[in-house]
Amino acid sequence: MTTELVQRPGDFGLGNVPARLAPAGTTRAVCGFCSTGCSLKIHLNAAGEAINLTPDPDYPVNLGMACPKGWEALTPLAAPDRATTPLLRDATGVLQPVDWNHALTVFCSRLKSLQADHGKRTVAVLSTGQIVMEEMALLGALAKFGMGIADIDSNTRQCMATSHVAYKQSFGFDAPPFTYADFEESDVLVFVGANPCIAHPIMWQRVMRNPGHPAVIVVDPRRTETAMAATLHLPARPKSDLTLLYGLARELIRREAVDPAFVAAHTTGFAEFASFVDAFTVARVATETGLRQAEILRAAEVIARPGARVSYWWTMGVNQSHQATRTAQAIINLALMTGQIGKPGTGANSITGQCNAMGSRLFGNATSLIGGYDYAKEEHREHVGRILGINPGLISHQASRAYDRILDAVDDGEIRALWIIATNTAHSWVNSGRFSRLRDKLDFLVVQDMYATTETARQADLVLPAAGWGEKEGVFINSERRLGLARKVARAPGQALSDFAIFKLVAEAWGCGAQFARWSSPAAAFQVLKELSRGQPCDFSGIRDYEHIDASGGIQWPFTAADAAAIPDLRSTSDDLKNRQAQDPQSPEIVNHKSEIVNAAERRLFADGRFFTPDGRAKFLFDPPVPLPEPPDAGYPFLLNTGRGSSAQWHTGSRTDKSAVLRKLAPNVPWIEINPADAAPRGIVTGEKVAVRSRRGATTALAVVTPIVQPGQVFMPMHFPEVNVLTFPAYDPHSRQPAYKACAVAVQRVEAG
Amino acid sequence: MVAPKNQPPLLALVDELLAEQGRLQTPVVRAAEAYDRAQRGQFNSKTHADLIPLTKPAAGEQYAFEVDLDACTGCKACVVACHSLNGLDETEAWRDVGLVVGGSRAAPYQQTVTTACHHCADPGCLNGCPVLAYEKDPLTGIVRHLDDQCIGCQYCILKCPYDVPKYNDRLGIVRKCDMCHQRLGAGEAPACVQACPTHAIKVVKVELHVGGGGALRADTSRFLHSAPNPSYTQPTTRYLTKRPAPVDVRPADGAVLRPQPPHWPLVALLMLMPMAVGCGVADKILNLHSSALAIAGWLAGAAGLGLAALHLGQPLRAWRIFLGWRKSWFSREALVFGLWFPAATAYLLVRIGWWPVGGALKSALAFGTATLGVAGLFCSVMIYVDTRRGFWRFANTAPRFFGSAAVLGLAGALTAPDAPLALGYFLAGVTILKLIFETSALAPLADADDGTAAPARQTALLLTGPLRSANEFRVFAAVLGGILLPFLVASGSVPHVSAWPALGLALLGELAERYLFFRAVDAPKMPGLPDPGRGGVA
Repeated sequence: MTTELVQRPGDFGLGNVPARLAPAGTTRAVCGFCSTGCSLKIHLNAAGEAINLTPDPDYPVNLGMACPKGWEALTPLAAPDRATTPLLRDATGVLQPVDWNHALTVFCSRLKSLQADHGKRTVAVLSTGQIVMEEMALLGALAKFGMGIADIDSNTRQCMATSHVAYKQSFGFDAPPFTYADFEESDVLVFVGANPCIAHPIMWQRVMRNPGHPAVIVVDPRRTETAMAATLHLPARPKSDLTLLYGLARELIRREAVDPAFVAAHTTGFAEFASFVDAFTVARVATETGLRQAEILRAAEVIARPGARVSYWWTMGVNQSHQATRTAQAIINLALMTGQIGKPGTGANSITGQCNAMGSRLFGNATSLIGGYDYAKEEHREHVGRILGINPGLISHQASRAYDRILDAVDDGEIRALWIIATNTAHSWVNSGRFSRLRDKLDFLVVQDMYATTETARQADLVLPAAGWGEKEGVFINSERRLGLARKVARAPGQALSDFAIFKLVAEAWGCGAQFARWSSPAAAFQVLKELSRGQPCDFSGIRDYEHIDASGGIQWPFTAADAAAIPDLRSTSDDLKNRQAQDPQSPEIVNHKSEIVNAAERRLFADGRFFTPDGRAKFLFDPPVPLPEPPDAGYPFLLNTGRGSSAQWHTGSRTDKSAVLRKLAPNVPWIEINPADAAPRGIVTGEKVAVRSRRGATTALAVVTPIVQPGQVFMPMHFPEVNVLTFPAYDPHSRQPAYKACAVAVQRVEAG
Repeated sequence: MVAPKNQPPLLALVDELLAEQGRLQTPVVRAAEAYDRAQRGQFNSKTHADLIPLTKPAAGEQYAFEVDLDACTGCKACVVACHSLNGLDETEAWRDVGLVVGGSRAAPYQQTVTTACHHCADPGCLNGCPVLAYEKDPLTGIVRHLDDQCIGCQYCILKCPYDVPKYNDRLGIVRKCDMCHQRLGAGEAPACVQACPTHAIKVVKVELHVGGGGALRADTSRFLHSAPNPSYTQPTTRYLTKRPAPVDVRPADGAVLRPQPPHWPLVALLMLMPMAVGCGVADKILNLHSSALAIAGWLAGAAGLGLAALHLGQPLRAWRIFLGWRKSWFSREALVFGLWFPAATAYLLVRIGWWPVGGALKSALAFGTATLGVAGLFCSVMIYVDTRRGFWRFANTAPRFFGSAAVLGLAGALTAPDAPLALGYFLAGVTILKLIFETSALAPLADADDGTAAPARQTALLLTGPLRSANEFRVFAAVLGGILLPFLVASGSVPHVSAWPALGLALLGELAERYLFFRAVDAPKMPGLPDPGRGGVA
């Protein structure tokens, strides 16, 4: 039995590994969970199959570290409930296995007949930020240009739509300006609605590597792990962050912390903004946020410190709000007015959610025409048509409707069929009880997923079995605009196919296969996307191919041919240097060479102060704060906040719940955090079951009595299907992103029984 | 794969794409492999060099984990890295991350706490192991579990106040953290140390000294304050922080009720052995003519010892169980009952006349069997006392085990055809006393609720909460079988044969009491998650 645990040197740059899992080779793949974009070193057996993994020590993103999800990335592939054949609901209502030919025939005939009877708009697509860029682009092109589908949106609407819109409006393009080195180079880091310790642990690693003991300001209603690590925590009332940010802007103006030269040369609208924020006095902000005046002034003082490099970071706490876009722009405004952008350690920086949210934003073909173009502009339609070899007349003049409007159209009977890909609408969409009711209004629901067991797939008429991360190749774009390579290291079970292959089959079966002849493989599709990017802010036409990305440790856009000439990659390393590296990887020459590559690999935008707007200037955008859509009242006295429960859980858990070891790392039932002051009078004790009700639904949860949530507020993790039964369907007017983080609920003890 | 010419194009494409899906190893993979091969064998241990000691411990020193709590932000990569890099089973990891909370409304506090084996200076697991399956490495101080020696008795799990050793069902043995001694030996950091993105875990050298009784002592002043008292096993892990912790800091799962595993074979053993001993003693004292009592006692003992073997994950290795007799009450119990059984068997043979001896030898056999039985029961008591759990303290365990012996001995005796019926009054009296004694476990319910469950309060809450129905059954069985029926038998209100159902009910009552003895015990552990599905069987 002792032999079970014997280790041996793993070779391939690995340390000791379990002897029975000693690899015959290794390769690298970028992780397929979140947008950090960590590289994982995959251990392969002699057959080329993945048997284990360790974080990649030579990748500029994660520097040899990974969070639990990355460590366990291979486990969900082997889950027993993988979809292994297409499944079609039979006359008795049971999902029965069918072959691909049958599935594709049914798929096309049902959708075509619905389109014939009710118009093309009757079919819509909901997709994902979880599949590779090439698949996303093929889907967008196929759906819109091949199948005549008007509406395609994806689950990035639930996480990143706000950042997309905020950047587009303020900077002229969806362009997160930062690179992860900024975490290490800031003197002051301001996190708004972000808990990177749990949600992006490897980004937090970069904060901890900051040698300058930076000030860390955290704006979050909860005393999260990140708030605990902060030097100043501002527990503003939920959704009062916009008011706080305007108040900080006023205070920065008062303290003469504005960079007048930058504002004058590179922005528009500052004067109007300055007069707008004048009403946000410290006294008013303190009243509306629940913060003490001294805390607000302290934050302003830290940010205004002369010479300090200040970076701002936000994520779902900002993006999932009824006034999300303006809140994100209030952060952008702070960076702009102080000139804290385009320099190391600065920026108004959106931390992205899903692994390919950024690729999906560029190539999803939903709100923007594929490649970040504009549907409304004829020259853009012609340009795209020319590159893709399609008739520009096939390209709609209008962007797709947003996710919530698509569901509204289902409700209205306008949309009668949905094709849902790699997302779990029935679980994750706000006010999820509504989706179940809408299901009955759909004539045909297709779900394409790795698992036939997701809450959504179980309701499908047709399930298409998809290969997952690790079973296919392609590119993800991470938070810092880095293109990284996902790779095929495992065989998909049964008849499961990559989403790319499924889209190819659909195109063929639909009769528009010839239109996508150039998209013969993900690698070929990548070449098409390069062409689409040329001349855009996201230009990556200087990347040769997948091998180039791999050898460079990922490549950030923009990467033009000129960048390619200026920036070395590992492949261009001389043979002589390679030989010496093999002998002594720690020699100063090699270390120096590597650090050159790392510096070249950490690039940020706007160093020249030129933005992507027509006039090259960034815009100050603002609106007065709007009250909470559903404030607590006597019947529903608590404000429910939702968010990530633990670093081991990913969204609806369709993958992470498959790993036994990940399931050990958080409770396996929904829980609700409640302050002791609220729990005690209700007789609520940690570990007991409580009933949670909102105006939309009710559920039970495990009580966790903790002071980290403020009195009057409760928190539930989003990973359980019960949670969105409660949430309130409010949306940001600009980004149409749902406001998951504030609705009124009642909490009661359930008598033990 | 090339499709037959006559196939329709869609089918051909399906086949082609399925074939492509099954192909691994793209050219890029091969290129990346070539690159990796160039680096073969060159593990960059320098990244972790400052996280492990440069030199081996000197005399009076050992290795220990040092955790920087200010850097631990709860990502839990350490747990999964331990699982992956050690090649552990699906649900197995030797490190865990818990949570402590506290503070006021103005200054709420939470802290994640990564925790593994504390490689104690005076390890409870090692001291309790009946088969010497633990060793404390003389050079490094690492407390290693010797998997090939383990019989799967799980006593170490009860002995460790930090819930460190874990039972592996597949192997039928316990396994635990060995501080990745193979990696340390190769100059590499342990898996958890390598995997921590914020370098919160280190291996350091700590000093030990010899305390009273020759046991090793560690400096436990920097042990986690909200963890179980370090004075028992002298854990060596240090938890460092610069953040002031509030005075009311407590484990996030401090108030969670955690019913413990019942260990049915042990429940049976500890119900049947007292009966065996009780019957044996009663047989000696009452000196009845019939041998029924001796037979009943022997049967109970044989069944108890037989069933106990079912508790072991590796019963074939059980012959080694006496090896730990110097320190382990488990070994001592096995030794004493191991002597008791042949003695009891011999006495039984005498008693039923198959071995015709009498006089002094018979009397000596009877006395010896009874004495060995009492001594064995005492060892049984001490097994649980030695875990230092509140509910299993001597003053609570001894009355229960010997009380069972009295109840079941009297109940058994009452069934004997020539038993004096007045025994029923004794039985009723003893049962009443035992019930009153057991009820005292509920007294802590009157204590104030401070948001955590102190050990005694945890037990009381378990008995009245999740274990309520078992507890009610226990009282019902005792009242009916131990009090009412014996009283009626003694007073002649019901026929003597009613002593049999009384015995049956008394047995069931004691079985339930022993079940509760295991399930309602307070089980100390490191701070965990507020999840009742953990740290026991719900």
